[in-house]
Amino acid sequence: MDLDLVRESIGPLLLGTIRGTIPLTAFSFVGGMVLAVLVALARLSAVAPLRWLAQGYVSIIRGTPLLVQLFLIFYALPSLGITIDPFPSAVVAFSLNVGGYASEIVRAAILSIPRGQWEAAETIGYGRALALRRVILPQAARVAVPPLSNTFISLVKDTSLASAILVTELLRKAQEIAAPTFEFLTLYSLAAVIYWVLCLVLSIGQGFLERRLGRHLAPQVAKVEKVRQEMA
Amino acid sequence: MSRVHKTAGTLAIASLTLALAACGGGSDGDDAASDVIRVGTEGTYSPFTFHDTAAGNELTGYDVEVIEAVAAELGREVEFSETQWDAIFAGLEASRFDVIANQVTVNPERQEKYDFTEPYTVSTGVAVLPTGSDITSVADLAGLTSAQSATSNWAAVARESGAEVEAVEGFTQAVTLLKQGRVDVTLNDNLAVLDYLNTSGDTDVEIAFEVGEPSEQAFALRKDSPLTAEIDGALQTLRENGTLAEISERWFGEDVSG
Repeated sequence: MDLDLVRESIGPLLLGTIRGTIPLTAFSFVGGMVLAVLVALARLSAVAPLRWLAQGYVSIIRGTPLLVQLFLIFYALPSLGITIDPFPSAVVAFSLNVGGYASEIVRAAILSIPRGQWEAAETIGYGRALALRRVILPQAARVAVPPLSNTFISLVKDTSLASAILVTELLRKAQEIAAPTFEFLTLYSLAAVIYWVLCLVLSIGQGFLERRLGRHLAPQVAKVEKVRQEMA
Repeated sequence: MSRVHKTAGTLAIASLTLALAACGGGSDGDDAASDVIRVGTEGTYSPFTFHDTAAGNELTGYDVEVIEAVAAELGREVEFSETQWDAIFAGLEASRFDVIANQVTVNPERQEKYDFTEPYTVSTGVAVLPTGSDITSVADLAGLTSAQSATSNWAAVARESGAEVEAVEGFTQAVTLLKQGRVDVTLNDNLAVLDYLNTSGDTDVEIAFEVGEPSEQAFALRKDSPLTAEIDGALQTLRENGTLAEISERWFGEDVSG
């Protein structure tokens, strides 16, 4: 380990993280979640073609490698006359990818809410949309936090693949510095540590979010949760 | 701390220890003792090292044949590991292979870190531009964006000419980006570019001008590798008996072995 190189590299690597990795993750996750909710609702809809469309989309996303999805959007679309810059290309690809995976989480979370909740909402005069918004989704959100956190944390590391389509994020910065110096071990190790710290921060955030969303639970449920957390 | 927690902790430490122990199984670089020469190469850089779809998809090319001839001369087997260019020196250092056969240009920075054999290719750098471009000399490269493998000598040449380097995996990607108008230029070995233009029939890009001095390409090895002298001896023999010239003639129609 060359300590001088570590000191010199930290700055550019953090810059790559702040300018590349973090915005790439944030935009893609937001875009992906909007898609996920829409696709989940389409899959639960009474309109058959909508269901098929959503199923087809999820199947394609889950059935093809993320790197291939990135390459298709970046390298193949130009032959159809659509040329998108590296960063937006990556955001589009990652949003589509997160949308496919997260839609299944959202769908399962909605289905996990007992039917009685729908009926209760109906008795106080809520229509389907209102029931979904005020009764079902808030409860489903709590269920979805742990699996969605998984998706989010995976996405942080998946953004490293964008280095292959010329997006200057953390990994590409590391490669840039390593190229003239040949210090790959040092630079990749540093990048790994930065990814890890990012994911640690997110895991802590997940804990807070779970406690916050769980604050309206009945006392005995909260107790069971508490015991469970101690066991884990 | 609960019992569950303790057990989990023990398991985690045990598995980590196992994983680390498993990682320690590399060769310790005793190159001369084994009768296999382990060679690192891209396998995607035509006509030097590539898979010929017309010939059963075998790994072939000028560099591949030269190192095979060297090994035959030394009475050894060759074992190829294919890896992308930017990981090739890391692979050499990590003893995943002992020799790089991939048109490695000899330059002072590399000579500080690695051993080089006698050169077996002499070539010139060229700038590849969209056909009919008004960029006509190295002086025009300043401020342009050039697509190069990050660790290639062409990347260094591009930087020295004042161009911004956009790092890509290899020549194929560089040409794709050039044709899509995402970069302005790419620099590479004249032999590689000529071969690409001939085999693809691509007329969208052309060789615009030469860049820098002729350079020499050789096999790269770890510092103080006992193999270097052996390969040099074999290259000397192959040069004298005309084998090198013959291999070169077959791939390039001329003798580029220097």
